[in-house]
Amino acid sequence: MRCEQAHQLFDAYLDGELSPSLATELGAHRVRCADCRQALAILEVSGHILASDHDGAALEGDFSDRLLACMDGNGLGWGRRLLRGLYVGGPLAAAAMIGLAFLGVFDTGQKTRILGEKHIRSEVANVVPDSIMPAAGDRGSGQDQALDIFLQQAEKSLDAKRQSWESLQKAPDLTVLQLLEMLNALLEPAEGSPPDEAPFPGADAPASATSDIEDL
Amino acid sequence: MSGCSGTLSREHEKLLIGRARSGDRAAVRELIDLHKDRLFAFIWRMVFNYHDAEDICQDAFLKAFASLDTFSSEYRFSTWLFTIGYRVCLNRIRRRKALTGEMDFASLAGSGSDAASATLQSEEAGQIRDLIWKAVDRLGAPQRATIVLFYRHEQSCQEIARVLQLPIATVKSHLHRARARLRESLESLGEKDLLHLRNLSA
Repeated sequence: MRCEQAHQLFDAYLDGELSPSLATELGAHRVRCADCRQALAILEVSGHILASDHDGAALEGDFSDRLLACMDGNGLGWGRRLLRGLYVGGPLAAAAMIGLAFLGVFDTGQKTRILGEKHIRSEVANVVPDSIMPAAGDRGSGQDQALDIFLQQAEKSLDAKRQSWESLQKAPDLTVLQLLEMLNALLEPAEGSPPDEAPFPGADAPASATSDIEDL
Repeated sequence: MSGCSGTLSREHEKLLIGRARSGDRAAVRELIDLHKDRLFAFIWRMVFNYHDAEDICQDAFLKAFASLDTFSSEYRFSTWLFTIGYRVCLNRIRRRKALTGEMDFASLAGSGSDAASATLQSEEAGQIRDLIWKAVDRLGAPQRATIVLFYRHEQSCQEIARVLQLPIATVKSHLHRARARLRESLESLGEKDLLHLRNLSA
């Protein structure tokens, strides 16, 4: 047996898994070879020391008591966590549900969603006639101002619906078109309004814009 | 090594676990008392710090008892407990590495020299013993766990594979590499030391 072959058998020998014939061959090689003898001696003694040496540290005597106390504490802790979960998580979950319902998550799309401000702005922009817009040079800011006012009025009309989930539930059939109709309806009283209540009451609003609104 | 777990019959262990599942405090205490020393000895060899080892030991017991319903009586309770302990150890070692960079095992090792050796009384023998333990402490976590479980806790490769949740072939490979590292570390020993070793091993 060569040293390489002997080295390959070391693990099996140390684990007691070597067949008697191979163990005999390894033993014979060990007698002849000082290097292999040394290597095996190191491994055997190392194993012996690792197995029989005292532990470096030991647990303190009251470990079991402390652990049991900790387990009792944990048991109470679970109860407390459950109660806290009910107290805190319950209202939070309810608030989340109301919030989601408010945003129209539970509306499957057949009914209208409660519109976000951005959506209302874009819808209103689609139906506001150009004729109510201010002069071309001031069109951008004038349009924004008009939309702001329309939005405020629209929001006022929806206040009742927004204040409670129940009222929102009772008005699920509010479609985008209906909302726009409402917005147009809101626009109508402006015809008879005095100039200071017109959609462009700002001091910087061009006079032509005010007249355009009145024309509606 | 307490050896208590070795004398605990499977039937008695099953009985204790059944009682512990139903909330029997005495059974829980008995299970703790039977396994705490061996588990702590193993964990201490993994983390080299008394307080960390105690924390991990406590954590392992808490996790084990919290999920006792999932324990399969196909395995020994000690195997299951060591598996949990080893996992907690690995997490702790990884966290420590993340905080402090690569761990210098050599600087942490050596606290084992505080304990008196039952087998090695002389100063020379003590030095060799320290050399061996330092070599073990320098091993990576899986190799160290393998060699400690194999020699100190007399677990078979199959049991170690269950504890470390590795294939048996991997465990044998870890054992082989760990022995090779031990041999390399101790090859510097002179003739006198070797003679000493041979006398000790005889």
